Amino acid sequence: MKSIKTTLVLLVLLTAPFTGARMSAQIIETPKPDTVYPILEKLQSDVSLFSRLKISGYIQSQFQKADTAGIESFAGGNFPAGIDNRFAVRRGRFKLAYDYAFSQYVLQVDVTEKGVGIKDAYVSFTDPWLQCFAITAGVFDRPFGYEISYSSSSRESPERSRMFQTLFPGERDLGARFTFQPPKTSRFNFIKLDAGLFNGTGPNVVDFDRYKDFISHLSINKTNRSEKVKVGLGVSYYNGGWRQGTKYNYSMNDVTLPAGNIMALTVDSTSSAIGNKLRREYFGADAQVSYDSPLGLTILRGEFITGTQPGVAKSAVSPSAQPVTDAYIRKFNGAYFYLVQNIFQTKYQLVVKYDWFDPNTAVTGNEIGVKVTGSNKATGAYDAKYSTLGIGWVYKWNSQVKITAYYDYVLNETTTNIEDVSTLKDLSNDRHDNVFTLRLQYKF
Amino acid sequence: MALALMLPAMILAQSFKIKGSDTVLPLSQAEAEAFMKKDPKASIAVTGGGSGVGLAAIISGTTDIAQSSRSMKMDEKLKMQEAGKAFKEVIIAYDALAVIVNPANPISQLTREQLEGIFTGKITNWKEVGGEDAKIVAYSRETSSGTYEFFKEHVLNKKNFGSNALLMPATGAIVQSVSQTKGAIGYVGLAYIDKAVKPLKVSYDKGKTYVVPSVASAMDKTYPITRPLYYYYLSSIEKTVSAYVNYILSPEGQKIVLETGYVPLKK
Repeated sequence: MKSIKTTLVLLVLLTAPFTGARMSAQIIETPKPDTVYPILEKLQSDVSLFSRLKISGYIQSQFQKADTAGIESFAGGNFPAGIDNRFAVRRGRFKLAYDYAFSQYVLQVDVTEKGVGIKDAYVSFTDPWLQCFAITAGVFDRPFGYEISYSSSSRESPERSRMFQTLFPGERDLGARFTFQPPKTSRFNFIKLDAGLFNGTGPNVVDFDRYKDFISHLSINKTNRSEKVKVGLGVSYYNGGWRQGTKYNYSMNDVTLPAGNIMALTVDSTSSAIGNKLRREYFGADAQVSYDSPLGLTILRGEFITGTQPGVAKSAVSPSAQPVTDAYIRKFNGAYFYLVQNIFQTKYQLVVKYDWFDPNTAVTGNEIGVKVTGSNKATGAYDAKYSTLGIGWVYKWNSQVKITAYYDYVLNETTTNIEDVSTLKDLSNDRHDNVFTLRLQYKF
Repeated sequence: MALALMLPAMILAQSFKIKGSDTVLPLSQAEAEAFMKKDPKASIAVTGGGSGVGLAAIISGTTDIAQSSRSMKMDEKLKMQEAGKAFKEVIIAYDALAVIVNPANPISQLTREQLEGIFTGKITNWKEVGGEDAKIVAYSRETSSGTYEFFKEHVLNKKNFGSNALLMPATGAIVQSVSQTKGAIGYVGLAYIDKAVKPLKVSYDKGKTYVVPSVASAMDKTYPITRPLYYYYLSSIEKTVSAYVNYILSPEGQKIVLETGYVPLKK
């Protein structure tokens, strides 16, 4: 018995280390490498990187029919001679925006059958402390008024008003802008001030003179407590100009004629005037009201601009290159008014827009085109006021697709002094230059 | 063959997502549960995140119903209009917004002005409002919360929260923090109140009358901080969600509203 016990004890002692290890192996689990967490962490990091980059864009394909072939038109550009209808890709935008911390980089191009052009190329920095101040530099919307910066993809009418197309062709310009707007958490977030210096020539061109233009816009936006009414108000100021290229500039003054006094373009022919700055100064005011009524969202917008615009004989459009002909300085005014009515809670909208642009407020009606003598110049067709009544019907299929049917009824100031019924140059009657637009927009 | 037979049933089954307000979350969960018991084919997923998150989700199309403790802002309506999304707004219940403190806090009532002072950071010690000499720890919801917006507008008179206010991502987190911190104060929907926190009586007439938050005081409109709770959904999916929404508005659904600590639409 004693020997059996001893044998058993010896057996236990000899095998104990092995049985102990096996027992340890049974109790202690060997930890498995954690492969899931590092993968998730990397995925999270990658998603975070990609979420900084936003890609967006839209394309507007359209068909247009004009009353008359070859008309001049602000409904997407002039109709070439002999052409009264056209298909076009009016806008084909592709935009990249990279947001990181308090900085943003934006690049937007426009691709149509006419070619490729830069629309936006800018960087923007916001102060990280108060988050009230921002600086933007590059090519971007000029901070004047409301309609310039209101996206063409959102705008209910196919085109901006005539006055904006004349004063700010291309909407954008090269320059630097300072912005003040308190952050969303501040009770003063409703105030926004933009002010900047720009070349004044528009996008896609280099400056042609040393004069820089100052542009500013101060706005407030408030919604009432019930979130039924939103009101926006703004004032704008533009102070700039461009280099006089020739010895002569013409401006409106009283001229004495045998038949009586008239307003005509009188010349300043000081040779030292070459290189002087031709003053370009605008004052603007804008207002927007959005009202949520039982009829649906109602939006009213209006804007008025007045000022002095240096142009050339046959155009008041702000130049993008040094004009080689004499400068014509005119006082102008213009305005637009929108009514956008969403039809209850449907996908339909009714749009009514009225705008006018008077490139030369010193003359009206039959005062335009009165013949003058000597070195003075008569006013002409490009001094006539144009009014446009636009009526449109918009259908928003979904957040990507929008269809717009829009009719521009264009009315021009008439004068018996510019009569040429055989051509499009006639101004004795209203020109037949109305345009119908049917547009399909896809946005992403 | 079996799949073809199943398909009509799958199409008819009501399956949708509800997202948004933390305040509305318990109510939606209770209603969804009851509705799914009545209609086993229905599948309703309910998540929180805040009213702002829910409304952003309906604009972006990532939820079917947005639950919200505030009405849709004009900017959000303009975004919906911009996106061509016609929507419906339905008030499903009311909620009393309660101010809560730790049960050990001797303070039992405050005026609106005192609440404004506390949450804007002007009042930092309980002794300034008749309590103990102890630092006030103010808890608030995050900015995406409809409760945050409502409290800021109606209690703080649109003034900003002070930098001392601690922002919490969910109502439950506020309840937990207040219950664990003696000097804490926060604000939550009535349905979230439990024994771990103490609701305060509130006065909107500079201390003349104080009212305790309750379903009864909210229904008789004596409690001043009461707000509607909303569902927003696209008109295009009305057929999918209408049975559920109508259920909430029915007497049976409104009974659940009362039982979960919310205020029914009618007495």
